Amino acid sequence: MILSITADAPTLTKTSETMVSVELKNVVKRYGETTAVGGVSLTIGKGELFFLLGPSGCGKTTALRMVAGFITPDEGEILFDGRDISRTPPHKRNVGMVFQTYALFPHMTVAQNISYGLRFRKLEAAEKKRRLDDVMERTRLGGLGARVPAELSGGQQQRVALARALVIQPDALLLDEPLSNLDTKLRVEVREEIKRIHDEFKITALYVTHDQDEALSLADRLAIMKDGAIVQIGTPEEIYARPRSAFVASFVGETNLLEARAAARDGRQGFDTPAGWIPAPAGGGKPEKALISVRPESVRLGSPDGAAVTGKARSVKFFGGTVKIELELEGGATLTAAAPGASAAGRWKKGDTAGITLEERDVVILE
Amino acid sequence: MSLSSSERSGAGVYIGTGLIAAFFALFLFYPLYYVFKKSLMPEGAFSLSFFKLLFSNPVMARSIVNSLLIAMNVTLLSGALGFIFATLTVKTDLPAKNFWGNMFLIPMILPPFVGAIGVKYILGRFGMVNTLLMHWGVIGARNPIDWLGAPFWGVVILETLHLFPIMYLNVVGSYALMDPSLEEAARGLGARGLSLFRSVKAPLLAPGFFAGASVVFIWAMTDLGTPLLFEYRAVIPVQIFNSLQESKENLLGYALVVVALAITAVFFVASKYLFARRKVEMAAFGRTSGRLIKLGLPGKILITAALAVFIALALVPHISVALVSLSKEWFMTALPEAWTFEYYGKVFTHPMSFSSVKNSLAFSGLAVVATLITGGAIAYMISRKRFRGRWILDVCAMMPLAVPGVVLAFGYVQVFFGTFLDPRVNPVALLVISYAVRRLPLVVRALYAGFQQTSVTLEEASASLGASPATTLRRVTFPLIRANMLGAAILAFAFSMLEVSDSLILAMEEKFYPMTKAIYMLMGRLEDGGMIASAMGVLGVALLAASLAVAQRLLGRKMGDLFRA
Repeated sequence: MILSITADAPTLTKTSETMVSVELKNVVKRYGETTAVGGVSLTIGKGELFFLLGPSGCGKTTALRMVAGFITPDEGEILFDGRDISRTPPHKRNVGMVFQTYALFPHMTVAQNISYGLRFRKLEAAEKKRRLDDVMERTRLGGLGARVPAELSGGQQQRVALARALVIQPDALLLDEPLSNLDTKLRVEVREEIKRIHDEFKITALYVTHDQDEALSLADRLAIMKDGAIVQIGTPEEIYARPRSAFVASFVGETNLLEARAAARDGRQGFDTPAGWIPAPAGGGKPEKALISVRPESVRLGSPDGAAVTGKARSVKFFGGTVKIELELEGGATLTAAAPGASAAGRWKKGDTAGITLEERDVVILE
Repeated sequence: MSLSSSERSGAGVYIGTGLIAAFFALFLFYPLYYVFKKSLMPEGAFSLSFFKLLFSNPVMARSIVNSLLIAMNVTLLSGALGFIFATLTVKTDLPAKNFWGNMFLIPMILPPFVGAIGVKYILGRFGMVNTLLMHWGVIGARNPIDWLGAPFWGVVILETLHLFPIMYLNVVGSYALMDPSLEEAARGLGARGLSLFRSVKAPLLAPGFFAGASVVFIWAMTDLGTPLLFEYRAVIPVQIFNSLQESKENLLGYALVVVALAITAVFFVASKYLFARRKVEMAAFGRTSGRLIKLGLPGKILITAALAVFIALALVPHISVALVSLSKEWFMTALPEAWTFEYYGKVFTHPMSFSSVKNSLAFSGLAVVATLITGGAIAYMISRKRFRGRWILDVCAMMPLAVPGVVLAFGYVQVFFGTFLDPRVNPVALLVISYAVRRLPLVVRALYAGFQQTSVTLEEASASLGASPATTLRRVTFPLIRANMLGAAILAFAFSMLEVSDSLILAMEEKFYPMTKAIYMLMGRLEDGGMIASAMGVLGVALLAASLAVAQRLLGRKMGDLFRA
């Protein structure tokens, strides 16, 4: 990071002075009766890679398109470094956008595509050339300038789309499900590429996806959206470890949702659950009834002898790295446990009875 | 500052809509309203007196019946031919399918009223057929058979030859949109033969078929040129035309126009909403042909021979017009006795024909510019903007398909009488406008298709990179829909050059005659009139043929969609 302020730093890299913060203040967008986005507020810090994660139809793309300027919010403000741009037309916003379908101009070459945005910026021809060469090199497109988009692979098209958005030195980079048109293997590769490029360019970025893996692995912070509203904002670790609602818990990663009833034991506050008693987490509320979330990897399986709670394996599924064991508890509830593949493979099979303990610090009481 | 520019794009929609609305109001709705008012409220109060008069007048009543019969026959024949030919070229293993596909389009390039010229030379009292029959002694020299004594069938046949290619294109288009896996699925479920056709194919083909049929029906019912050249007066369009030739105002004309409009409207709405209501089209994923019907060798030979005979007969009008245009003299002989190119020269030296060619080029050129601007704006707003009343714009743009040329021209003559647009004084503006209005649906269709194929995200990408809306249009949208714009322009130009009813009605003085009116007037002259008219017809046909070929290349398979209602 010190590199970027040395004299021969790449020209397109942002510095703390040129980075911009993006803020959405109570933004609302309605279409007739339906509210696509209902009062979204969030702040993306300078140089942050921020994710909007949610199922389709949750309003995340509408929110992104309002930042891009393709949709005007009905209420609220969108601020770039504190300046309200919610009524600025898209071509005056200086945002770079990477579309789901890439939207490369089919009648232009790769070089023409990338330098398209430079036409509208008052720059010396030499500077334009330098920027084009720089961005093409850094997105590994060297030598492809004369091709047309149809002659490129999916991954290359993706990089052209990124280069085209980055070369204009946008205040914000917007990415709309940029990986959804790539096959699984390529997706992981390009994911790393995007991370590398973001780290290198240090640009404030808003990335929209429904893929939790993308969000968890790339995001500095993310917001989970549902029905046009943000239900939780946090770092990937916070969201995963401390989901606030059943929706977040089950949307981000896999989880077991269990009904819990307040019950003190040995003088300690806690909850009775189908999977045994757990102590109440410190600082949390003490509701009579609650829903708790336990990640499968926080369910420990052991010998049934002497165990307080046991379950019978209904199915054992092998996923390579992990084995997932679905257990039927005594009360009839279902609990899924995940164990590292190497140690669990062969140890558990269908019909086995296992003793169950929950990692207490991983159990979350939901609102 | 930034606020105002965003508002302006919103304002642009309203200004654009306003201008287009004004255009429609003045040149489409007001003339129609005026005609309705005149015929339904002759004395300022509602009255059906003219309609009583209309239906009690035997000539008028017969005209209405005749026109309906012509339209029905033409539609049935065109539909049958179009369906059979499309099925043969798409669904069977007939050899040389592409060749036949092209051959089926050739009859379309001959405007039926030009074909009528040739037919008169072939089937006239002393035309080729009678002369041959006399020569062979089949009939006596003094009593030639009056082949054209039944001009009804002459009109039906010529119009069918001109219009069945539209049905052919429509059915081929529907087949192309039909996913062959549907047919395979139905077969897998046990449907075959007639039950397969009834349960799966017919419902999927119906919308495209009826969309084409309504265009054909309206076209055939209101075609003025063909019956006029056959001197078949007892049809609606000729009666409307005649009512305008009379010195004093003939109010029956108004009533007739209303009747014509009512019939076309009923047919248009019925076909659109009864048959094409549901969207059953879907893009085929694989190849479009699916399973081919095997004809067998005898079948192939028989069908190929039948098609060859049909095409040969269909080309008789073309060939005869060409013969007339090249003949020095042609009377009482089977073929012309001497040949000459002089009539082609005369097209450009004869004062009436030469000025008409220049007029047509100028009017059509201006009309193309007008229709591209108006149609482009409409297509852009329909496909790219979301605003209330968008569907009204769509309906208005397609209205001219349901408003026959004779009706519109009649309305123009009446409404703009005494204004600065009065066609009696100078019809140029109204001719250009009527050409433009008539071609509007075609242009909107073609450009709308272009906009639809061009992803909006490309325009958004351009905007986010800093291009203003105008720059985006110029650098991204236009280059991507260039083929559609060119195809639409060429077709609109060619059809305007051969537009009949507007030209015949609106151009009243010789110096304003477009080509079609000149052809009609020349046909009425003895001596070399028919030959010059034929030469002009051949030139017009050549222009249309070339235009269709180029447009076909530019627009590809989508061309069939342009001839739908």
